[in-house]
Amino acid sequence: MKPVQLFCWHFMAYPYLDKDFDEKEYTGWVTVPNRLWDNGKTRGLYQEYIDQLAYADDLGFDGMVLNEHHQNIYGLMPSPNLIAAALSQRTSRGKIVILGNLLPLHLNPMRVAEEYAMLDQMSDGRLIAGFAPGGGPETFNYDVPSANTREKFWEAADLIVRSWTEDGPFAHEGRYFPLRYVNLWPKPLQKPFPPVWIPGSRSPSTMTEVAKRGYCYFLSSRSHGGETHRAQQEFAAVLEKHGDKYHPFRFGILMSTYVGETDRQAREECEEGVWYFLKNCLKGHLRREGRQLTYGPGIPYIPAAAWREYLKSHKPGRKLLGDVENWDELDASQSIIVGSPETVTRRIQNLIEKAKVGNLLIQFQLGNMPNHLARKSMKLFAEKVAPALRHDSFTYFDKEYPGVTLERSMEAVH
Amino acid sequence: MSGRIIEVNQRKVQVLERGSGAPLLYLHGFADVHSVKENWLPFHEKLTERSRVIAPAHPGCAGTDENKDIENVEDVVFHYLEVLDALKLVQFDLVGSCVGGWIAAEFAVRHPEKIRNLVLIGAPGLFVEGALIGDVFMMAQPEYGSSYASLREMLFAGCDQVNALDMFPDGKGELEDEVRRYQMLRLSSRIGFKPPYFYNYSLRNRLHRVTSPTLVLWGEKDNFVPRSHGETYAKRIPGAELTIVHGAGHSAHVERPEETARLILEFLSR
Repeated sequence: MKPVQLFCWHFMAYPYLDKDFDEKEYTGWVTVPNRLWDNGKTRGLYQEYIDQLAYADDLGFDGMVLNEHHQNIYGLMPSPNLIAAALSQRTSRGKIVILGNLLPLHLNPMRVAEEYAMLDQMSDGRLIAGFAPGGGPETFNYDVPSANTREKFWEAADLIVRSWTEDGPFAHEGRYFPLRYVNLWPKPLQKPFPPVWIPGSRSPSTMTEVAKRGYCYFLSSRSHGGETHRAQQEFAAVLEKHGDKYHPFRFGILMSTYVGETDRQAREECEEGVWYFLKNCLKGHLRREGRQLTYGPGIPYIPAAAWREYLKSHKPGRKLLGDVENWDELDASQSIIVGSPETVTRRIQNLIEKAKVGNLLIQFQLGNMPNHLARKSMKLFAEKVAPALRHDSFTYFDKEYPGVTLERSMEAVH
Repeated sequence: MSGRIIEVNQRKVQVLERGSGAPLLYLHGFADVHSVKENWLPFHEKLTERSRVIAPAHPGCAGTDENKDIENVEDVVFHYLEVLDALKLVQFDLVGSCVGGWIAAEFAVRHPEKIRNLVLIGAPGLFVEGALIGDVFMMAQPEYGSSYASLREMLFAGCDQVNALDMFPDGKGELEDEVRRYQMLRLSSRIGFKPPYFYNYSLRNRLHRVTSPTLVLWGEKDNFVPRSHGETYAKRIPGAELTIVHGAGHSAHVERPEETARLILEFLSR
């Protein structure tokens, strides 16, 4: 058994929007006008963000998390692999988690197989390889037809893993990516291959595909009420059905936190960044205002029968995370946990035990939060929160999952 | 389910059929039978006065099985060749609205001999420089979580028209209507989303192959497929004429059912 794994996730938001952005602009995604990009202010921005991630490594986090987004103010990382390459040379301990490369956006999945193999070699075997199909915004940014995205995604993911594990050259006779000579140079360092994580939003079919292959399931939801616990139970049941057993390191969640010296100071320091994040960065993604592009009938990637089930319980116009109107509502969503080290420890430990989750992917820098505050919060977390979480989670997991071995089960991998 | 199910190459196809007289194959679009409504609209009923109207649901729409191998409009044309075999239709009038009009035009350039008369209503399918076809997928994402005003605005002359509100209401619509809408978007994403967007670059240079009399109908205020596309169809199809349906938007057959049907009946009676 091992303690909870604590990762530092950076989204690399665009932090220089005017105060009236929400009032003036329709969306923060896809069509957000790029005249708002201010070259006078952005010099050194990537450096600042990379430095924050390298600082996480210095502070003893278990890893750093990157992901791929296009044409938005939420995440300035169209190519997370570039940032990962930089981190491979700046850091030496933590895992580098890319969650993930959006496979349907790549004309040839071998490009991802190659770059991930390079990154695994460059980082001396520290890569965690995430594959994601992409959501609505990517559909619009890269003109990816929705109806066959899922099939394309799994064909690409399986081809990549096969190219890592099977000696080449071999021919791949796939529906979407037929290739005559698959023969990967370089190979990844980790054997049999780097850990694979797949994000999902509670769709049973994604959980099933993940379970079949023995991968780690990452819940991409940003709110952690009862749904996170339900997702864990559903995934555990799916694993059971496939002759596998759940343990906390098969599962990961995304959360945000800000740690200050006291509850009051924490809230005061982070509030501007939090509201910037909720109202600007989530506009077009997790807000009703404008047009939410993440999920819906215009992005028809789930089969019609699944859509009918979704519609039955769907409440049009319900509040999303970015629609919260005050601090109490935000607090109740358990999306962004803010407070003193004691408060944050208590609330996160509670979340770990409820959701039985072993991988916490934590966002520290929110919206336009200044560098010094993000770093201070990370430091307080590493020094005053992480040790208690590690201790308590180890005790808890050891009690709840006695005798669980953590070797990845590889039987199911094609 | 209304109509009947026929089997085509081991897949089910739902077909509505009504009326007697010369066979008329109707291919549906977004605001239409099979893509929203379960049954005929007043426009189709009017056509049955003269014709035996046969309206199959596209692959994956209404009660027709989905076909995951459909990747482009060519695959849909081939599907319809098999549907025609199953229906034993050799020659017929072909009327297509919206996406159905595109499929009809693609069919007509490949098999002109099968078509007695061709009618295209607000059909996408062409590349016309400087006249982009609207993004119906983005408009299908509700605003404020529940408003379909911009989708209605794209598919109709105005977002608050009674017919538009009936087919694409805000908030929760009738469950099966919403499922049919979704199925139509899913099929359209297979054939119309990938660049190029709702067109086949080669089609305009093939239109000279159409040999049937052709009527091109366009709503006066089409916010989905600009009128210059109708003008291009009319210019490139030998002998075709463009008629504007006044007061209508993209869905002339829904917005001005009487007039649109009358124009078609007059054309077919010539």
